[in-house]
Amino acid sequence: MTTDLPLLRLLQLASPSLPVGGFTYSQGIEWAVDAGWLRTAADLEAWVGDQLGAALARVDLPLLVRMQAAAGALDPAAMASLIDRLIASRETAELRLEEANRGRALADLLIAWDLPGARDWRGLLGRSGTAGLAFAASAWQIEPRSVAAGYAWSWIETLVLAGVKCVPLGQTQGQQALARLAALIPGTVAAALALPDEDIGASCAALAIASSAHETQYTRLFRS
Amino acid sequence: MSSLLDPGQTAIPTETPGWQASLELGLAERGGRTVLAHKRQFGPLTVQRPFYPEGGPCHIYLLHPPGGVVGGDRLDVAVDVGEGAHTLFTTPGATKFYRSAGPCAQLTQRLSVAAGGVLEWFPQENILFPGANLRLNTQVELTADARFLGWEVHSLGRPAVGERFESGCADLRLSLRRAGVPLLLERLWIGDGVGLDGPTGLRGHPVTGTLLATGAAAPDLAAVRTQAVPPTDLLWGATLVGDLLIARCLAIGTEPVNRLFTLLWGILRPRLLGRPACPPRIWCT
Repeated sequence: MTTDLPLLRLLQLASPSLPVGGFTYSQGIEWAVDAGWLRTAADLEAWVGDQLGAALARVDLPLLVRMQAAAGALDPAAMASLIDRLIASRETAELRLEEANRGRALADLLIAWDLPGARDWRGLLGRSGTAGLAFAASAWQIEPRSVAAGYAWSWIETLVLAGVKCVPLGQTQGQQALARLAALIPGTVAAALALPDEDIGASCAALAIASSAHETQYTRLFRS
Repeated sequence: MSSLLDPGQTAIPTETPGWQASLELGLAERGGRTVLAHKRQFGPLTVQRPFYPEGGPCHIYLLHPPGGVVGGDRLDVAVDVGEGAHTLFTTPGATKFYRSAGPCAQLTQRLSVAAGGVLEWFPQENILFPGANLRLNTQVELTADARFLGWEVHSLGRPAVGERFESGCADLRLSLRRAGVPLLLERLWIGDGVGLDGPTGLRGHPVTGTLLATGAAAPDLAAVRTQAVPPTDLLWGATLVGDLLIARCLAIGTEPVNRLFTLLWGILRPRLLGRPACPPRIWCT
């Protein structure tokens, strides 16, 4: 086996230790637990799996690979338009704030890593964590398919761990859910990469309602 | 009806030709009153004569093809609200989309509002019969300070008679852009029963609705959240992204959604447009 530097770069980008505050977001799960929608490990797994097949396959991942192409082509106008589409597809104020907060933190990190162009693109990338990831992936020459898989993994890990804390569930149950959800990722990535531009888009009504209600939830640990 | 078709369209052998209808409307402000200044109509899509129950704003009833929409129908609605004009649209009843043998029905609604204009868009619900195949695309385009208040309500299947949308396809898009920049992009996909029960999607609710209001701020969101005493038989939530207030709901029938949205309009209209709600009389019939 050759030592694969892009793989190591991807592990760093997908790591929960990346200082972009990933562990502070539940994307509506905290409210869904409070409302009694999520009571078991099976409920949590179904919740995350449903979003993986809808929002990630039809919005996040197709836009992510296009953003990586825009970064590779040094095309800030294309990147800006993709960021607009991604943000307009985020259903609520909290989900949009999360995208921007992650974006600002990651944009600073890209500069700290001395990635070429990071300083010039900071204003743009500061609007979206997804765009920042795409930029890093382009600079570090990580395969778009791998980046999409890494993004999906990091996302399911964040949400399952949020669920484990809120429901609450045992750590082993969380890891079991993660192992099963991870098995859905290759198919999700393949579908996302094959999606034509005109088919991009999703709507998750219950997620939107949960996330809207979370904005005024009385006691909360998470920022989304 | 096939005699009305554009010859270019008939070349596609797999498409059963249906209604090809289009309606283009231009609203203009004339001395404090909004008038229907332009109307071009082709096929069975039309409007009734505008009326003025509250002074300047123009209320218009949009009439879809009598007897509902079937596979192969292609309906295009374009509404252009001019500078400073104020128009309210509704429909006299639900729009029905019937079972299709295969071909897709397409309804495209392009709603544009010029600077200082106001468009209120309150169609009654879309009912998708089981087996319907529908592509619906509602695109709102605003210039600068143009305002939009509107809703869309979809009933997937006919819950009142216990008919689920088990077969058929729906691709329901709703977008709002200001000066070309998208502020909201939504797209609900349902295909042969898939998507009806997703825990983050419809959660088994056949009726889904979205209400949009631009020009809103935090106190308007707070008013909606605290003043609205919502029906208990639905799930709903409201959020504010920029100046766009979005309320979404899920229910087992259309009645509670209509009740909630009418209530929210009653709260928002005085705050955002400086006018009390003026419910079209047709809603009471």
